[in-house]
Amino acid sequence: MTTDLSIRSLTHSFGDRRALDGVSFDVRPGRLTGFVGANGAGKTTTMRAIVGVLAPDAGDITLGGEPMTLERRRRIGYMPEERGLYPNMRIDHQLVYLARILGVPKDEARLRAADLLEGLDLADRAAEPLHTLSLGNQQRVQVAAALIHEPDLLILDEPFSGLDPLAMDALAARLRERAEAGVPVLFSSHQLDMVERLCDDLVVIHEGQVVAAGSAADLREQRAGRRYRIAVSGHPDWDPGAPGMTPVGAESGAVLVDLDEAVDPQALLAAAQADGAVTHFSRAVPSLAELFSEVTR
Amino acid sequence: MTARSTLVGLVAGREIGVKLRDKGFLASTAVFVVIIVAAIVVPALIAGGTPEYRVAATADAREVAETAAVLGASESPGVPAAEITVVDAADPAAALDDPEVDAAVSLDGDTVVITGRDGVDGDLEALVGAASSTLAVQRAAAEAGLDAGQVAALTSPEPPRVDLLEPRPDQPVPPQLLVVIFGFLFYFTVLTFGMAIAQSVVEEKSSRVVEILVAALPVRWLLAGKVLGNTLMALGQVVLIVGAGLLGARLIGEGEIVSQALSVSGWFLAFFLVGFLMLACLWAVAGSLAARIEDLQSTTLYMQIAVMAPFFTAVFLQDEGPARVALSYIPLTAPLLMPARVATGDAAAWEPWVALALVVLTAVVLVVVGARLYAGSVLNTAKRMPVTAAWRAGRGR
Repeated sequence: MTTDLSIRSLTHSFGDRRALDGVSFDVRPGRLTGFVGANGAGKTTTMRAIVGVLAPDAGDITLGGEPMTLERRRRIGYMPEERGLYPNMRIDHQLVYLARILGVPKDEARLRAADLLEGLDLADRAAEPLHTLSLGNQQRVQVAAALIHEPDLLILDEPFSGLDPLAMDALAARLRERAEAGVPVLFSSHQLDMVERLCDDLVVIHEGQVVAAGSAADLREQRAGRRYRIAVSGHPDWDPGAPGMTPVGAESGAVLVDLDEAVDPQALLAAAQADGAVTHFSRAVPSLAELFSEVTR
Repeated sequence: MTARSTLVGLVAGREIGVKLRDKGFLASTAVFVVIIVAAIVVPALIAGGTPEYRVAATADAREVAETAAVLGASESPGVPAAEITVVDAADPAAALDDPEVDAAVSLDGDTVVITGRDGVDGDLEALVGAASSTLAVQRAAAEAGLDAGQVAALTSPEPPRVDLLEPRPDQPVPPQLLVVIFGFLFYFTVLTFGMAIAQSVVEEKSSRVVEILVAALPVRWLLAGKVLGNTLMALGQVVLIVGAGLLGARLIGEGEIVSQALSVSGWFLAFFLVGFLMLACLWAVAGSLAARIEDLQSTTLYMQIAVMAPFFTAVFLQDEGPARVALSYIPLTAPLLMPARVATGDAAAWEPWVALALVVLTAVVLVVVGARLYAGSVLNTAKRMPVTAAWRAGRGR
């Protein structure tokens, strides 16, 4: 099943506070979509609306053009922001229980729970109650709970928080694997470097409104403007010294130059080559952190 | 799509599984079974059979002792039943050196003397007294020249005939005692499983697992599963304990207790079931209004009162009167008071049906109200929620 998840004009208020204000974006199959925004921007509210835990005041959520019915929602793998499993229940028992609640036959559920726990290095602790595990390991079980019914859509609220770097990489690989199997994956995160490294698509939400959405590469390209990074051998503080070419800073042996509208970037390159060997010449694409601080300003 | 009944069954199955693995619950059930069986078996063993006495009699008092033995074995009204063995003795005090001997009977002139160690059993004293007066009457009658028939008429007059206008069925156990036993059993069970529902709800809230569950199945199905699982367990526990008691009674040969208890337990169990269901959803609400397990103390307070009230009214209102009749129709107290009135024979045959219908109707209303309050509050994990806010939030969920 490869279908788009579409969010259209989602609006919701908590009392007088408008949490979501016409939120619209798409989550495409086969791609990892990062959902970023400051605390209280509306990420969790949006995700809770998608999984049906919260009934939004207005707006449409469709999967493959069809409205979200209970039956479709049950095909979502959901990881809530506040982690939730039974603290006193055996790990394997609760994975099997959740799988069966989600419609997996008993024997199949047992096999999958065992497989997932094996993959998470928790097979030897399967019979222990959840609360005896470290927080990081509880988090892994939570990941297993979201994947146990081989969902058609993954909605993960802060899946990486609380994980050590190794576990983060393992989870990232697993999400990539699900995406490549054609599952739309939406996850929120505060760790912008992680999102930058991992995501194909980005949705940036700010005060209940989507301020940027689309392919991560396109978004950064769009906002790159006319800033260029250039490194001239033997001249770490090279200055083009020409009209319309303004040096704005230097970083690790290269200088950043802003060009006026009228100036051809090739003129900058030519000027640099006249002063020495050019070892680096590129358009300065903003990092996600820069993009984020720009669009949420 | 997995069917609703399957999902409700899964939730119920988890509730039951949790209870069956709960050592505290298993221990308390076992203790209760032991108490019930002991309460039936032990008094029967203590009171088992007629008392036996070994009485030493001096030669002149032998007739008195033997007459007492005959009276003790006669089972005539007004005379205690006892099995008396008479042995010969020369000296009453010396006879008591034998630890087997309970008392010695001798004559001091015309006065019958009973010699005991530190006391004489009341039944034995009564029997010896009756024997002594029977002998005195016989002697006086013989002196007056009455024949054997006339003497017999004097000493063993025909007992009175008892005519009953409304004969009460033979009841080996006082029905009041049955009411107290059932009342306590229900009080204990409703409280246990009501709290179990509330705790299960608040555990899911405080551990946030409820958010995953609500994303996967409608809130009301989740509630239905919880109520179903705990109702089955509550009913199972009551049936187990009552069954253990009845089995105990049967094993010690008290078949009459069994048939008496069986004849009233049908109404008790029917009312227990609907009475439990009536309150079950409200127990879930008491759990869902709380944010943490500590809040349960205050959110379940009214529920605890709602369970205590019928128990105490049933125990203290044992005499038929307008208050008892009225309370046996009020849905909160009816589940105990109506079967209690049936047990004491004060209710007409149609009365429990009417009260049962009233309880069922109330249960339907309270289930609807409870489900809405639960739906409105179960996802609010931040803080304790007022009932009114839960009611508003539950609209349309």
